Amino acid sequence: MSLPKFTYLAPASLEEACGLLDQYQGKIRTKAGGTDLMVRLAQRALKPEYVMGIRNIPELEGISFDPDKGLRIGAMALLSEVADNPVVLERYPMLSRAAKATATVQIRNMGTVMGNICNASPSADNSPTLVAMNASIVAVSSAGERQIPIDEFFLGPGRNALEATEIAKEILVPVPLSRSGVSYQKISPRSKVDIAAVNVGAMVVVDEQGTCQQARICLGAVGPIPLRATSAEEFLLGKVITDEVAEKAGALAGSDASPISDVRASKEYRRLMVIILTKRALLEARHGTGI
Amino acid sequence: MSTNFSVVGKSLPRSDARIKAVGAARYCDDIIRPGMLFGKILRSPVAHAKILNIDVSKAKALPGVKSVITADDTLKIRFGNWRLVPESQDELPLATDKVRFIGDEVAAVAAIDKDIAEEALSLIKVDYEELPGAFSVDESMAEGAPVIHEANPNNISLQRKIDYGDLDQGFADSHLILDNEFTVHATSHAYMEPCSCVAEYDHDGRLTIWTSTQTPYFVQCLLAQTLGMRENDIRVIKPFVGGGFGGKMELRKWEFCAAFMARETGRPVKFTLTRSEELTTGRRRHPMKIRSKIGFSKDGIILAKEFTAYLDGGAYNSMGPTAAFLCGNFGGMLYRHPNYRYNGYHVYTNKPPAGAMRGFGAPQALFVAETQMNMAAQELGMDPLDIRLKNAMVTGDEIPGVAKISSCGFKESLLKVAEMTNWREKRKNLKKGQGIGIGCYSFISGGVFNWFNTRYNFTRAEVRAFDDGTVHLLTMASDIGQGCDTVLRQILAEELGLEVKDIRLTAADTAVTPQADLGTWGSRVTLMAGNAVRKAAAEIKEQLFKVVSMKFDLNVIHDMACKDGRIYAKNRPDRGIDFGEAVRLAQRANRGDPIIGYGSYTPRNKGLVTPAFSFGAQVAEVEVDLETGAIEVKEMNTAHDCGTPINPMSVEGQLEGSVHMGLGYALSEQFIMKGGKTLTSTFLDYKIPCAEDMPPGKSVHIDTYEPEGPFGAKEAGEGLVSPTAPAIADAVCHATGYRCMDLPITPEKVLKGLGKL
Ligand SMILES: Cc1cc2nc3c(=O)[nH]c(=O)nc-3n(C[C@H](O)[C@H](O)[C@H](O)COP(=O)(O)OP(=O)(O)OC[C@H]3O[C@@H](n4cnc5c(N)ncnc54)[C@H](O)[C@@H]3O)c2cc1C
Repeated sequence: MSLPKFTYLAPASLEEACGLLDQYQGKIRTKAGGTDLMVRLAQRALKPEYVMGIRNIPELEGISFDPDKGLRIGAMALLSEVADNPVVLERYPMLSRAAKATATVQIRNMGTVMGNICNASPSADNSPTLVAMNASIVAVSSAGERQIPIDEFFLGPGRNALEATEIAKEILVPVPLSRSGVSYQKISPRSKVDIAAVNVGAMVVVDEQGTCQQARICLGAVGPIPLRATSAEEFLLGKVITDEVAEKAGALAGSDASPISDVRASKEYRRLMVIILTKRALLEARHGTGI
Repeated sequence: MSTNFSVVGKSLPRSDARIKAVGAARYCDDIIRPGMLFGKILRSPVAHAKILNIDVSKAKALPGVKSVITADDTLKIRFGNWRLVPESQDELPLATDKVRFIGDEVAAVAAIDKDIAEEALSLIKVDYEELPGAFSVDESMAEGAPVIHEANPNNISLQRKIDYGDLDQGFADSHLILDNEFTVHATSHAYMEPCSCVAEYDHDGRLTIWTSTQTPYFVQCLLAQTLGMRENDIRVIKPFVGGGFGGKMELRKWEFCAAFMARETGRPVKFTLTRSEELTTGRRRHPMKIRSKIGFSKDGIILAKEFTAYLDGGAYNSMGPTAAFLCGNFGGMLYRHPNYRYNGYHVYTNKPPAGAMRGFGAPQALFVAETQMNMAAQELGMDPLDIRLKNAMVTGDEIPGVAKISSCGFKESLLKVAEMTNWREKRKNLKKGQGIGIGCYSFISGGVFNWFNTRYNFTRAEVRAFDDGTVHLLTMASDIGQGCDTVLRQILAEELGLEVKDIRLTAADTAVTPQADLGTWGSRVTLMAGNAVRKAAAEIKEQLFKVVSMKFDLNVIHDMACKDGRIYAKNRPDRGIDFGEAVRLAQRANRGDPIIGYGSYTPRNKGLVTPAFSFGAQVAEVEVDLETGAIEVKEMNTAHDCGTPINPMSVEGQLEGSVHMGLGYALSEQFIMKGGKTLTSTFLDYKIPCAEDMPPGKSVHIDTYEPEGPFGAKEAGEGLVSPTAPAIADAVCHATGYRCMDLPITPEKVLKGLGKL
């Protein structure tokens, strides 16, 4: 498929990028790895006059960890870089798992975690864990910077909370609390390399007795945005996460989901998978708490 | 048998391996000709409708558009591969009066670039009067169903029968009778190279077409027929082809349009399909509904079988008649069936036509037949291996009136694969969720029946020998990635005692290579073209033996040899000369006429089906997640009999490709359709297994020698696509208790089968 005509811009600083977004508001698209964007252009689903590549902007690079602020994933950090980063592997292993579960080697070497989030696909691999871990997205414009909690970031399929003049600069993920555990579960039943039919991210924090103090569960591909399983989360509070409790929470998550039938799976199958994957995620997360 | 060959039996690298690996091979879409136009096809957006009016005036007026054609511009001559049965030729180059599926070709545009061609399509206005559609064999065969072709008011375009023995008696004598209905689905060839062609018309009135085809000769003949030209005025050249699997063995409509518009405009015209066009409108494997009734004696001997298949053919016959026959043939193969009856019905539906696809009716038949063997074993309390060994065909067996089995390594394959996989142990001792299952196959080495009605031999080779010790092989056999360019060279090198590098090859150009060859399908090339090459080589040898015999004044009783680049008396190797020197002398003796040999092959006295059958057995090991239904194939092991493997590495490549395709057929590939519309329009949703999904596995070749094949060779690679689905289905049943009778085996079906969904 051929691409439509557009003008390509490659700013070398954030300031320059923000200037371009102001200047061409509504006619410009930001491109990170382009693995989503270029496909959309070729399909003529988007027809921007300008495409702004952000590879040359140093402020968007890198992955770093600060013991107080937590993890920072620059907007241009590749999926493969996040998957293999030593700090991520040590302190945020489920972010690594999610990045590694995304697409193929070739795509992971081009695409970014930020692009995956900004693309706001309900089945995106990196969203559920970032939601579960309560991440936030730093947005920048010529007017300044703001931090958007991830719970407020997704608005609908393909729609996010960024303004037309904003660029997403980095993802911040808080330092994992003590006695917390996280899990990412995905099912793409027809191939090991596939878009998720259902995915689930879960984080639980327990006290010394193993009683659940906090739970965040995020369900992917079963609603217009990555969904919080609120009734399952509430149910878990104050309970020790036994197999039976995890199973019940799974069932509640199943009713929190609003899946549809499409070419990839029926809604009945999706709902059942929410139940199974939530149970599995909770049991793995509980195990991760070390209690 | 194979020990004293020099070149045959060696895993030589394929002659096209390097150029493909470095990306330098030029496929059809890489061809650029001066002044070339780009073609696009306007396809029907509705599944069944009358065409009331087509207005192309706006499209024609668009700057950059050079030609717009509809059926009214053409001669409206019907065509199809089954020339022997003219009523089966049900396609027209462009839709006339009616469209019959979403994607039916209605008009074509040629313009100076693709975007303009695309825009011109949107300016063509077609008025349709929609008709009700029928989208399954049941809908098409129902009372009052919409009639898709006027010539076939019941929507059944043809029926094939096989019948021998006394069925009623067989069932009356049976201890166990199974009577089951199965459905199998459509899949895509998914060749990596979408169809493409470039046509050019020269000042002298000759049309040249480069096209991604398996059958240059078919394209030549059918183009002549539909364009109203003489065959000799049309030259078809096959460049590198990126796979075919049966999907490129007919005259296709863009080939006609390219040729027609090249003639009309005087400029070269190229058409290249998009992947979405291929997936939503291209040929596919026949979905079928199959009813199989089989009777066994108490100790598991097959006594009778009645096999009835309804082929969902889509809107046109395509290669359906052949698939309908082979389905019946393979429904009654592998085992001795003393009493067998087959009825196959090819049914029109308002869907993209199904055509030939790797296995050609066998994968469907064998999924059913092999699954039923496994069910019977279960019912009779037998090991699936034993019930097969009891009934297996052997060399010399006959299928009454149809074929004689001239070589058969089936029992050996069964025993070998069981040993390789530790079958008997594992079948008894696996954990819940783990399973091991078996599936087997047989396949043809080319067809005997002349449905194309060729007036030539089935294949022909020409070999020219040179005094520098090289030869030139000319053949219309078409390498589409399966490797015949290499294998035919190996056969020729073996026969002439040369090395592969000494052999130049010109192939698949109808103006240059000998008339004719029926093309690459039905696993026919190695056996048929290979035999023709051997005969051509024999003619060369005959000429060279004469001059060497004369030169050394050899006693007439001497046998001659042709080996290691020399021609000599077998028992007196010192009495001989180099190959090139012999050619020089022979040419001198001819007073300058070149040394040329010709060979042809057409199967004779080989029954109705094929000169030779391949056989094999495959074992799948799976692990099923009982909560999600996800199936992981852990291992896939095979033992098979393809006669002498001319190039074992090539055979192995075919095997791996087959496992890959069989895996998709079994588990993940399917067209999801709604009212005739194909929703799975990209590889995102049409799920071909990825590299990571490929299970490990070994393959063992059973040593047999096929008397009809070149150096004992027969079919390899196409038949192997059949055992995978039944083997996996059996392993899934072993792991879970769920028996799939309705491909593909999706996790949802597994969970439903277990009562969990
Ligand atoms: C073959 C293939 C397989 C795939 N498989 C998967 C899969 O298994 N799982 C999965 O989740 N995804 C998959 N994807 C989708 C895609 O690769 C990922 O979503 C990827 O992470 C996108 O990152 P990118 O850098 O390429 O984004 P881009 O394509 O560059 O951008 C995506 C979107 O985000 C916007 N954007 C990007 N960066 C910024 C920024 N800094 N500020 C503001 N807006 C921004 C763009 O404007 C665009 O709308 C697949 C894609 C392909 C082609």
